[in-house]
Amino acid sequence: MLRLITLALVGAVLIAAPLFLEPHSIGVLTTALIAALFAMAFNLLSGRAGMLSFGHAAYFAIGGFAVIHTMQAVESGAIWLPTPLVPLMGGVAGLIGGLGAGFFATRRSGVYFSMVTLALAEMLHALAPNLGGFFGGEVGLTSMRMPWLAFDYGSENQVYFTVLAWTVFGIALLYAYNQTLFGRLTVGLRESERRISFLGYNAHHTKIIVFGVSAMFSGIAGGLLAFATESMNYSMLGMGMSASVVLHTFVGGSTVFLGPALGALIFALFGSLVSDLTKNWLLYQGILFVLIMMFMGDGLAMLWIRIVNECRSRNWDALRQRVLLLIPGLLITVGAITILEVTSKILDQQQYATSVARMNAWPPVSVFGVSWDPTSALTWLLPLVAILVGIGFVYLILARKMQQRTGTIIMSREPAR
Amino acid sequence: MEFIVVSTLNGFVYGLLLFMVSAGLTLIFGMMGVVNFAHASLYMLGAYLSFTITRATNFWVGLLIAPLIVATVGIFIERFMLRRVHGFGHSQQLLLTFGIAFVVEEVVKVFWGNFPIAYRPPGFLSGAAFTIFGTNFPSYRVFVAVVAILLLGMLYLLLQKTRIGIIVRASVQRPAMVSALGHNVPLIFLGVFGVGAWMAGLAGAVGGALLTTSPTMAAEMSVIAFVVVVVGGLGSLLGAFISSLLIGLLTSFSVGFQVSLADLANVFGFGDAARRIGGLLTLDVASLSASLPALLMLIVLLTRPAGLMGDRN
Repeated sequence: MLRLITLALVGAVLIAAPLFLEPHSIGVLTTALIAALFAMAFNLLSGRAGMLSFGHAAYFAIGGFAVIHTMQAVESGAIWLPTPLVPLMGGVAGLIGGLGAGFFATRRSGVYFSMVTLALAEMLHALAPNLGGFFGGEVGLTSMRMPWLAFDYGSENQVYFTVLAWTVFGIALLYAYNQTLFGRLTVGLRESERRISFLGYNAHHTKIIVFGVSAMFSGIAGGLLAFATESMNYSMLGMGMSASVVLHTFVGGSTVFLGPALGALIFALFGSLVSDLTKNWLLYQGILFVLIMMFMGDGLAMLWIRIVNECRSRNWDALRQRVLLLIPGLLITVGAITILEVTSKILDQQQYATSVARMNAWPPVSVFGVSWDPTSALTWLLPLVAILVGIGFVYLILARKMQQRTGTIIMSREPAR
Repeated sequence: MEFIVVSTLNGFVYGLLLFMVSAGLTLIFGMMGVVNFAHASLYMLGAYLSFTITRATNFWVGLLIAPLIVATVGIFIERFMLRRVHGFGHSQQLLLTFGIAFVVEEVVKVFWGNFPIAYRPPGFLSGAAFTIFGTNFPSYRVFVAVVAILLLGMLYLLLQKTRIGIIVRASVQRPAMVSALGHNVPLIFLGVFGVGAWMAGLAGAVGGALLTTSPTMAAEMSVIAFVVVVVGGLGSLLGAFISSLLIGLLTSFSVGFQVSLADLANVFGFGDAARRIGGLLTLDVASLSASLPALLMLIVLLTRPAGLMGDRN
């Protein structure tokens, strides 16, 4: 019930968004939705089927390029296709690319699978600038959205609603897929491939199909990006795109169905908010990912579910502990951000070096609206003390939890492998 | 003739440099079963740190100190990060190293800027060592080769001729048995991770001045080091050595070739038809050189997944 209410609320906010957001924010939301669909498609392969792909940008970009070519063909009148259906071509191209690549990649499993996907994507990325015919060389390709019926696709809102419809449709299809027998088989691949074979299924063929479906939805997402930006460049094939989808998926949580979408939305909104404040926002994304991998392997969606469950079962102790952990967590975050920002502003070679040369002194830099003098020890000591105090508090709280649970403090040590 | 000799020498130097990076990667994989995505980031860190230390002091101090700092970073990563998620399985460790690589790249951008830096060989090594067929062979390349060969010799002696080496090699093969015999296997892991990181740092310190030093160097080196390790056989040092030289030579030779599939088709009389189709068929080998290593890795993974010298999959 709570789940349905949350979903309805999110849906209502997404539909009503153009009423209270300016066009720029709608653009951000559009890219966030595309990233969400891409992450959901990626998670079908990496989370549910347990095959970690490090080259998913390839299928995303193939879809995008297919859509750009389709749009060019529609523009020149060579073919007739309603504009809102154009992203479908991305799905078709992604499916074909995914089935081809999947045939090779799925012959290996585990870390070898990850390496094959990486190699395939890197190969395509290195080849693309030389294949100007399809990938448009270094400059890329551009096209125009053609008007269809009453829609001229000139405004941000019309593009936004098309992307929203496609994203919701794609995620609904993925949900339906998971409910089918084949969806259960997909999870079976992750849990025990051998048992799948013993049940009489062809594990290799199943893997290829899962790879193809995942690539198809990635292709649709790529097609939506091409549709929204009206341009495509070979840099979309690069490692950065493959890395970002991995980050989105695992920060959101690969074990919960909507986890990857949540991760993508959080990162896209985080990116658009923080990138105005600091140029180090990618660094913060990376640090967030590393911390989540280390301390909370199942992601933010699982954290949310745990908190909801604790509220339901009236587990006030656990909730109080989370609130208690928030305070030192905030201390560590503020301390770390202060040190990083002050350092980064001083090291910003051009700007700071010129002002040092001009004033013949080290001018203070402003972070959080407070100006920090780089020559005073306080600037460096204060955040450092905040971090250390924060870490100390976390240890104290965790040690008390251990003590309450077992009566003694456990010296935890990992067993030797 | 000139092309062959110069390309061979260049490929040899590049291959030796590759070996310095991939030796640590393959050892770490053999022991922990983890492909360390952050290994090439350590190489990048070595290059940047030695650049900064060289500017403050001199080349030799940079060469000495930078790899030691990188080794410390590597030990920190193993002890406080990777070991934490050990119980959660390999994919969690893989993802963690992936995240670390991402963070290191961004940290480098913060400290040194998002552009290539001018890390050049020191003055006394910038001349020509010898002249061959009218081509000056830079003495810095000779220096890189000497460093790599010295390191290779030391690694060989350490692993093959000492007691530590026997224990390390045994832990690569059967960690549980070595542990049962009373050796501290986690400590050995830590040591190997540190040495691997040190070698990567040293490779960066000498290689940064030979190749370019930029925030993307880690991602580029990462793919090539993976190719080396996969082609050689994951966990095999000899395999890594052979495939490093192989890929070094392949890269340096392919840059010079202006042959395309269409030219090949010409031999059989289909040249014009192939040229009309265009696309892949008219690309010459030189413009393919960046994707050749990945292609090689694909072929090896699909035909002989254990690699040249590997004995397990």
